[in-house]
Order: sequence, then structure tokens, then C-alpha cells
Amino acid sequence: MRVLIIEDDKDVASFIQKGLVQAGWNVDHADNGKDGLFLATTEKYDALIVDRMLPGVDGLTVIRTLRASNNGTPALILSALGEVDDRVNGLRAGGDDYLVKPFAFTELVARLEALIRRAGTKGSSAATTLQVGDLQMDLLRREVRRGEQTIDLQPREFQLLEFLMRHAGQVVTRTMLLEGVWDYHFDPQTNVIDVHISRLRSKIDKGFDRPLLHTVRGAGYRLDG
Amino acid sequence: MRLPAFFRTSVFQLTLIYITLFGVSVAALFVFMYWSTVGLLERQTNEVLDAEITGLAEQYQRGDMAGLVEVIRERVRRPSQERSVYLLVDVALRPLAGNMTRWPPQFDRPAELVEFAYTDENGMEVPVRARVMAIRNTGFRLLVGREIRELAQLKQTFRRAAIWGVAFTLALALVGGVLVGVSAQQRIAQLNRTTRQIIAGDLSKRVPLSGFRDEHEELAVNVNAMLDQIESLLAGIRHVGDSIAHDLRGPLTRLRSRLEILAAEPAPSRASLEECIAQADALLDTFNALLRIARIESGAYRSAFAAVDLSRIVRDVCDLYRAAAEDAQLRLSCDCTEGAVVFGDRELLAQAMTNLLDNAIKYTPAGGRIDVRLETDDRDARLTVADTGPGIAAADRERVLARFTRLDQARSQPGNGLGLPLVRAVALQHDGELKLGDNAPGLVVSLRLPLVGAAQPQTSARSGELTAELGRV
Repeated sequence: MRVLIIEDDKDVASFIQKGLVQAGWNVDHADNGKDGLFLATTEKYDALIVDRMLPGVDGLTVIRTLRASNNGTPALILSALGEVDDRVNGLRAGGDDYLVKPFAFTELVARLEALIRRAGTKGSSAATTLQVGDLQMDLLRREVRRGEQTIDLQPREFQLLEFLMRHAGQVVTRTMLLEGVWDYHFDPQTNVIDVHISRLRSKIDKGFDRPLLHTVRGAGYRLDG
Repeated sequence: MRLPAFFRTSVFQLTLIYITLFGVSVAALFVFMYWSTVGLLERQTNEVLDAEITGLAEQYQRGDMAGLVEVIRERVRRPSQERSVYLLVDVALRPLAGNMTRWPPQFDRPAELVEFAYTDENGMEVPVRARVMAIRNTGFRLLVGREIRELAQLKQTFRRAAIWGVAFTLALALVGGVLVGVSAQQRIAQLNRTTRQIIAGDLSKRVPLSGFRDEHEELAVNVNAMLDQIESLLAGIRHVGDSIAHDLRGPLTRLRSRLEILAAEPAPSRASLEECIAQADALLDTFNALLRIARIESGAYRSAFAAVDLSRIVRDVCDLYRAAAEDAQLRLSCDCTEGAVVFGDRELLAQAMTNLLDNAIKYTPAGGRIDVRLETDDRDARLTVADTGPGIAAADRERVLARFTRLDQARSQPGNGLGLPLVRAVALQHDGELKLGDNAPGLVVSLRLPLVGAAQPQTSARSGELTAELGRV
């Protein structure tokens, strides 16, 4: 995976860079918007991490310029604890996801992976069934089966499972779940999401030899086939 | 230099404006009076002259030159109150008839009004206004004039009155302006002295009041009120700063000593490192919560306020927490009036609601009940979260709304003492009100928020549309 970080804060940039390099990613860094834009247009990246406030050309302008020239590389916007309409403006400018500083590294990686994956599977979202291991979801009939067994889910549990299945194999954080399933963007802080997950887990994993839904310590959850 | 500084003061500017305004109005008044008295007299004189000269000209047209000469002589002989002057001359300007001996050389052009000094038979100089007319086909000219001594006197009087009047007015305006200005100046100088003392660091200084209920007094009262507010805010900030230092020093010290112990170990365990990270995360969470409260209180979110469906938020958050409540063996009921639309920020309201439910679940013992209720009247939406927990003593209710307050019985539970302060900050930013009460037993928290388009009952169909419009951000 190859990522470009456009970030003027040296500490943040090197924190991200070190972490990603350790995880085996290929990382380039630009510390201003102009250089970042140049790299992003001349090189091929799987994703961009763009700070909102940059000297010279700001982050949103970088993304807007890329999108105007038909460059669809998924972009994750970073921003200091926020001017409120940041998220809206960021997404409107063509950003694909949005993360407020300070953030946990695991959150960043989880979102980055989700972005890259989403970009790779664009257009296939029209699928009417999802499958992870022996777990099957029929989106039209709102039915879930594991092996031969039909699993009865509440509507919200169904949405939760759908989100996890669409991100199968990736770490999904609690914040991502709150955003993806409940459509709220604040930090859930407490264990509310965990309770929903454990209920879902008891429905899809109980009585089966191999668990599908795993807890990733300090980060979130992962559904593995 | 004293003078240039004075020119820049508002006293000087005000006085100048005062003088100009007064001068111009008095001058305008005089012009009007002049026009309606002297002007009227002048117009009357002119009309009489016109009438007479046309009469004479017609006389000539009806008869002949001899007739005209006869009429003029007749007129000259006839005594009248106001002296009249006549003169008829031929082409060579030789007088033919009239009581003037000589054609005034400067008045050549016909049909014109002229004024000159006529020396009468007694050798007195009399001001005269006259009209000159050329008599058709003859080259003769006729001059008819009338004494205007009274008019001239009136004009003279008027001019003098005008000059003195304007001068007197200006002097009065100057004195008045300076008096008014200087007293204002003194009040403002006093205000400036006080503010300079405050800038120099003495925040306890206040603007002295005069007891005179004018706008300066109002300003002084407002400035003092503002200073009181600033002082209490500063005290609040100092308190928060102290609390932050105090509340964060503990966990930081613990984290540090733990890391110190780990550093001494040859091979630190992964689990203890993760515990350290969790501790650091908890600290970060506290900082974030503080920052968020500060941002909410600064009003930064207000610019993005929009109509949001509070009913839906309440239902969503209840839905989010139902499982957690059941796990804690609590019954969570949600009685929610549809279509309560308020003007605000969806995320903030959800966060506030989350904090309330979080608290309720945390502090209510198993087997208890949490009742969430959203009601509306014609002005407000009222959200109440009532639990059957230990409640909060009346004396502590105000205290728990301040940052970092953790009551003794809450110490065993995780938390940072920032939950209710955030709810209150959200309530205030939405022009709402947060109240804690007794649920006997338990705590009842009520959050009042003004409805959008109050007084018109919202139907649920309408709120459905709104929700659809709001969409996803």
C-alpha cells in the first residue's frame, strides 16, 4: 500500500509515517500543499492523508484540485478539534473520510484501510448478498444464515452486521460503527457499542466452533471469514 | 501641544457641528424673512412701476407725443405720498418732460430696472428705483421712478439684524457646545482613567457613578457590569485551571510511576504497556472533553445550527443505549412526542443525551428503571431523564454542573466529572435550560429547549420531511 501524507506538523507526520512504515506501508510525505499536490498528481497512491490547515495551499483546495482533474485517490482529511462544519466542508470538497486530532493510530489505520477497500470495490455495492466465511446475508430478504442455520436479528443488529460484513477483514473502530450504523459523529466514550457487539456476537458465533467476530484490543472489532 | 489634541476631541467636533447647524438654521430663517418682507415690498414697487410705465406707453399709442408730455406734466404736478420721478427724452437724450433735468448716463438700455440717487429740488438725495422704456417708432425714451427710501431703510435694518443675529447665535452655540462637550469629555475622561487602571492590572476598579440617570451613567453601569462578568469569568477560568492541574496530576503521576517501573524491568509485558496506553487515552479523553466544552461555550458551533428533529435524536440515543441498560438490568422506557424540532446541532444534542443516559445507567442499581420522556408545549421541548438511583442531594445539584465535580458516592465509578458540564454547555448554547430534580427516589434531569416555529404545533408528517431534508452529513 502506498500513501501520501500532506501534513505540516512534523510530529504528527512522523508519528503517522513511523506507524505506517512499521505496518509495512510505503509512505511519502509533503509538508505543504503545493508539494503535496505535485506529488499526488505525478505519483500513484492508494490513499492520501491530508491535513486541513496547510501553509500555502490548504488541504481542501488540494483535494478539490485533484477531484477537478479527475483524480479519485481516496483522501482522509485530518483536522484539529473542530470548527463545526469542517466535516461537511471536507466531505463536500471531495474528501472521503474525516478524522479529528488527536486520534489513535489504530483509528487512522482502520479508516485508511476502509477507504482503500471501498475505492477498490466501487460499483459492486449493488450486490444483494454478502458472504463472510459461512455467514451469509441476503440484503433484499433481510435474512442472515450461518451454515444451515437462520439467524434472527433485530433491525439495528442487521445494520451492524451489514457494516461489519462490508468491512470484513478490516479493523472497525467504535467511532466508525457509531458513524456507519447510527449516523452520529461524536466519540461514544463508554461501552455502548461493545454491548451491541456482544449481543450480535452471541447470535452469530454462539454454538459455532470458529468465531467470526473478533475484538482487536485497544482498537475495535474485526469480522473474519 | 495642547491645541491639536483638543481639535481631535469629540467636544471640538460636537461644538463645530453645533455651531454650523445653528448658524445655518438662523441664516436660513433670516433669508426666509427677508424674502417675505423686503422681497414683497420690492415686488410691489416693481409692479407699480410696471403698471405706470405701461399706462403711459398706452397713452402715447392712443394719442400722440404732445398728449404724453401733457400727462407727464400733469403727474409731476400732482402731489403724492411717495415721490415719483418722470423723464421723457428724445433721440438726442434731450428732456421733453418730467421732473428730472438730465438723463442718467449709465441707464441706456431700455426695459430695465435701475436704482440711483435722485437729487430733488431741495438738493436732497433720494434713493429711486426706476424703469426705462423705449417708445416705439420714435427713438424717444421714458423713465418712470419711485422713491424707495423706506425699502432701503428696511433692507439696511434687516442686514444689521441678520449680522448681529447670526453672530449672537454662533456665540451662544459656541458656549453651549463647549459646555455640553466639556461635561461629556470629563465623564469620558473618567471612564478612560478607569479602563487604563484596569488595563494596568487592577481588575477590581470600577467606573464611579454620578447618580445622574443619563446615557453616560448607563454606559458606566454597563461597563461596570461587564467588568463584574469578566472578573467572575476569570475567577471561573482560574478555578478550572486549578481543577485541571489537580485532577490530571493524579493520573499523570500514576502513569509516570508505572512507566518508571516498566523501564526498570528487563522485558516489560505487553499487557502492562497496553494498560499505560489505556491510561494515556483516558487522559486524552478528559482533555478532549474539556476542549469540547470550551468550544461549545465559545459559541463556535452556533454558526452551523439548523432545524433538527429532537424526537429522532432522543429515539436514536435510546435505541443506542437500550442494550447497555438491559445488560445492567435496568428498564429503559422512551416516551417520545413526535416532531419536536429545535434549532441546534444534531451531534451536540445527541452527545448531551448520551451523557445523560450514560450517567443514569452508571448510577442506577440493577433492577431499577430509567424513564426518558420528551414532551412539547407551544414554546418548548422538555426532555426528562428520570432514574431510580441514589439521586443527588439538593445542596449538590448546582455543584455537579461545574467541571470536575465528582461526588463522593460517584468516586467508585469511572468518569471525569465533565459529563453534566457538557450537557449544561450544550443547553446554554441552545438557549435552553438544564435542571436537576428529585425523582423520589432517584434523579430527574430535565432539559428544556425552545422549539423551532414555536406556537405552531408540529405534525409528525412535517418532521418526517425535515428529517429527510437534514439527511446525512
